[in-house]
Amino acid sequence: MYSSEITGFLAKKGIAVGDKVRIRSDDLDVEGEIMPKTEVGASDTIVIKLDNGYNIGIAYTSDLEVSLLGKRKGKIEFPRAKLRPNKALPSVELIYTGGTIGSKVDYKTGGVYMLTKPEELLYEVPEVSEIANISISNLFNIASEDMSYHEWQKMAEEVAKALNKGARGAVVTIGTDTMHYASAALSFMLKNLNAPVALTGAQRSSDRGSSDAFFNLKAATKIAAASDIAEVGICMHSSSSDDRCHFIRGTHARKMHTSRRDAFRPINNRPIASVDQKLAIKYVGDYNRMSPESGQKVEAMTKFDGKVAMVFIHPNSDPEIIDFHVSRACKGIILAGTGLGHAPVSTIHDNLNWLNAIKSAADNGVIIGMASQCIYGRVNPNVYRNLRILSTSGVVYCEDMTPETAYVKLGWLLGNYSAERARGMLSKNVRGEITKRLEFDENFLV
Amino acid sequence: MDAQAGKGREHYKRIGFMCGLEIHQRLSTREKLFCSCPTTILGKGATPSSHISRYQRAVAGELGAMDVSAQFEELRNREFTYNIYDTNACLVEIDEEPPHEPNREALEAALSFASALKMRIVNELQPMRKAVVDGSDPSAFQRSMLIALGGSIEVEGIRVNIPSMFLEEESSGIVESTERGITYNTDRLGVPLVEIDTDPYIPDPATAKRVALHIGTMLRISGKVQRGIGSIRQDVNVSIKGGNRVEIKGVQDLDLIDSFLENEILRQQNLIEIKKRLELARAQVMEPADLTHVFKSTKVEIIQRNSGVVLGFGLKGFKGLLGFEINPKKRLGTEISDYAKMAGVKGIIHSDEDLQKYGFSDAELVEIRKSLDISDEDSFILVAGEKEKAEAAVKLAHSRARSAFDGVLKETRVANDTVLCTTKFMRPLPTGSRMYPETDVKPIPVTREMLEEAMADAPDTTREMANLEAKLHNKQLASQLLLSPKLQLFKDIVSSTSADPSFVANTLIQKFTELRRQGLSVDEISDERLKDAFQAYADGEITKQAIDEILKELSRADSDVKKLVARLSLERITGKALKKIIDSEKGKSKEEIRRSIMSSYRLRVDGAELNSLLQ
Repeated sequence: MYSSEITGFLAKKGIAVGDKVRIRSDDLDVEGEIMPKTEVGASDTIVIKLDNGYNIGIAYTSDLEVSLLGKRKGKIEFPRAKLRPNKALPSVELIYTGGTIGSKVDYKTGGVYMLTKPEELLYEVPEVSEIANISISNLFNIASEDMSYHEWQKMAEEVAKALNKGARGAVVTIGTDTMHYASAALSFMLKNLNAPVALTGAQRSSDRGSSDAFFNLKAATKIAAASDIAEVGICMHSSSSDDRCHFIRGTHARKMHTSRRDAFRPINNRPIASVDQKLAIKYVGDYNRMSPESGQKVEAMTKFDGKVAMVFIHPNSDPEIIDFHVSRACKGIILAGTGLGHAPVSTIHDNLNWLNAIKSAADNGVIIGMASQCIYGRVNPNVYRNLRILSTSGVVYCEDMTPETAYVKLGWLLGNYSAERARGMLSKNVRGEITKRLEFDENFLV
Repeated sequence: MDAQAGKGREHYKRIGFMCGLEIHQRLSTREKLFCSCPTTILGKGATPSSHISRYQRAVAGELGAMDVSAQFEELRNREFTYNIYDTNACLVEIDEEPPHEPNREALEAALSFASALKMRIVNELQPMRKAVVDGSDPSAFQRSMLIALGGSIEVEGIRVNIPSMFLEEESSGIVESTERGITYNTDRLGVPLVEIDTDPYIPDPATAKRVALHIGTMLRISGKVQRGIGSIRQDVNVSIKGGNRVEIKGVQDLDLIDSFLENEILRQQNLIEIKKRLELARAQVMEPADLTHVFKSTKVEIIQRNSGVVLGFGLKGFKGLLGFEINPKKRLGTEISDYAKMAGVKGIIHSDEDLQKYGFSDAELVEIRKSLDISDEDSFILVAGEKEKAEAAVKLAHSRARSAFDGVLKETRVANDTVLCTTKFMRPLPTGSRMYPETDVKPIPVTREMLEEAMADAPDTTREMANLEAKLHNKQLASQLLLSPKLQLFKDIVSSTSADPSFVANTLIQKFTELRRQGLSVDEISDERLKDAFQAYADGEITKQAIDEILKELSRADSDVKKLVARLSLERITGKALKKIIDSEKGKSKEEIRRSIMSSYRLRVDGAELNSLLQ
């Protein structure tokens, strides 16, 4: 946004953003189109686009000579795809929620911001309409960091609605930062799921020709349209190349890199399937298969208790954080413990000992779950004495669940079951989130 | 071309010659423009640590319009492979991490050049993305910012305006291009590059060459730019009356600029001539048709080899024009073929070629004409290949053939023959809609301090010339050195050794020319070796004459200078040792001794020392 001074200065001359102007200052004499102002630039510059396409910033002074050459013609709009229904193809519901995959340049923040309509995204990837008969639900348009369980609930309801109306599968486009929370949430919320539900997104916005959005969207649509996987999963690049996407179980996925295309990795699990450039599906791991005869409707168990917290254990951490959460009526806490699932319980300094805080919370009926900040591997309550102290103080060890999955699961359990049942179910497998066997993988990060 | 050779400025004015240059020069900063990788370019023998492959597509630009050249590249649907060298590329280059803050050293260099070119520096730099989908950038865009506007230079009395200068990222270097895709090296990707543009009013090809030389010299004397092959590139924009703007990319040798320009003039003149003839003949390009059935049992080898389909279209009134030579060894047919090749086919066959040579039977020719609904007087174009490729290729060929009615097309062409100085089609000329803001980098305000620093650092050719003259006491040598790529090396050698500047300059300019004429590749000797050689001379370890021998040896094979001196027994004989030799020649006259010693030890004895000892 331009300052009110600049806006007023321009308005007096009948000039608005998008108009063609000539600007003369001591240094410069240029013609161009006034661009919307990014907030991050210096506040006293006017940005104009020259005929050669370049933007430049011109320092504003009240004696700047600005003259109007022409008003803006037409509105700035991105082209949109016209959806042509093709009944011969499997029907897939495309649920659009925002995120980088559907983002374009925004002038408000100078950053990438969600602006596009799903039809604009499909315009960039027309091949998607050749894979499936797409219908679009435009749910909302937010960044994944702004997402909460309220949005997960809406997404689950929308997926259930579409599948129960006859869609063969569903694709959810969503921001990547919290995609693995959403995939866990949808996994728990969708009961009796008998269709593939593929969450996908992009690490590079779709306004660049190198975006991973295009291939991710095609691969996810292929999974939804043609695979027999009756699970929720994340479908994103499996390597930095555009050669393969993998479909990772929704309860076992995690974003493991801030920026790479192949940020999503299966944790303590193999990917269910992969999709290559030619869109051939290869099944890799075990999965729930669709049963065509089941005839059962998918049920959206969307209740979620938001009074659950996640706490990261670290050296010097203050156990009072537990008291704080209890004082805020928190019903469950997932600890991201160190190593096999530790919190400091035999410290030399009493003020750093977590034992009393944990005990008192557990005694107050708060469910305390333990996962590991190692991310990979299973927690174990027995190997060390300190672990045993914790487990006998009421902490539930969450097996090989990531802290994020354990967190989502606990919120979902508390929303749908009594506290007692929730506590019991936390360490029992419900939707494939707990695996009894961790198979050896030479390179476990892949 | 000969018809135009030697014509004066009036001639170019009459034909409406318009010409502008874009000079691209890599900077020698320590780090790349948007990350901390080094800017050194690896040699051909370097082995990649890993590689990735990507696809790219055209996307809508900031104002919603798709750039025509970006869409054109996408049509080719190629796979791009990027060789990654761990030492010279990080996640930023391969588009796996957002760019870091722009490199200050590069920014300062660019601002100082802008100051030297008397340009108006922009108040706040706005980093932009320039859509590029030929794969040369893994992000599918090149980061670029406009630094300054409105400058000028004067070259031999002619004022040439410099309307704009940019600071941008170097693209990837192409390793291999096949039908399936293109392989690039990422080592040079992201190296800072300045682009300096002139206005389109350079009056003639000879001046164009001088302008390029002038700007190149200014850049070089700054000491802030890379040297060597590929570190500077000239793109030439040219048009004539009735023609259109064409950008010729990749002219690396300054001496060839005027020849390329003359050929482009000729090409445009001939395309305009073809247009006139087509209008006169009321020519027509028919719609493409499938001719596969004609060639069921063909003997045409080129079609047999390309199993798939044969597509073609008729052209009425084109007789003789497809074979019309518009540039040395380039015909209208070549232009159409260059378009078709973009779709991945090997080329086209057209009826102005010797069709017997291909092995077409008369029956096939009759059938082609029948299927295309054309007479014997009409022409045709055929494309054979896999269905998908052939279809795309025939579409491109068809559109190019139809454009013959428009005369000259706005194109980006690439210099592809440095002997005949001819070009080939690369892509349509991009438009402004390929630019959109680089949102990952904040705009950069240009402060008063930055401007003052730029003025103080601005390379000044006049001052540099005066300095060189003062050092060399030889105007001609000074001006040769000023224009030479060896200038920076000269300065490095003179400042790091106590070698006599005139001797260094003479060696780098005259001696090098002499050795080059002898066929020795002296330019491949590394700067470090040259410094070592002059150091050995300055330290009194070898004589001036020995330097020549060392240069000859080094141009054949690289070697450590000290070892080379020992191997060739070039150690200087000086002081007592020399005195001893003089004493052994007792009884002879001074002149006889001098001659005798010089004939035996020419390379090892310094003449001046010998003379003074003989006194």
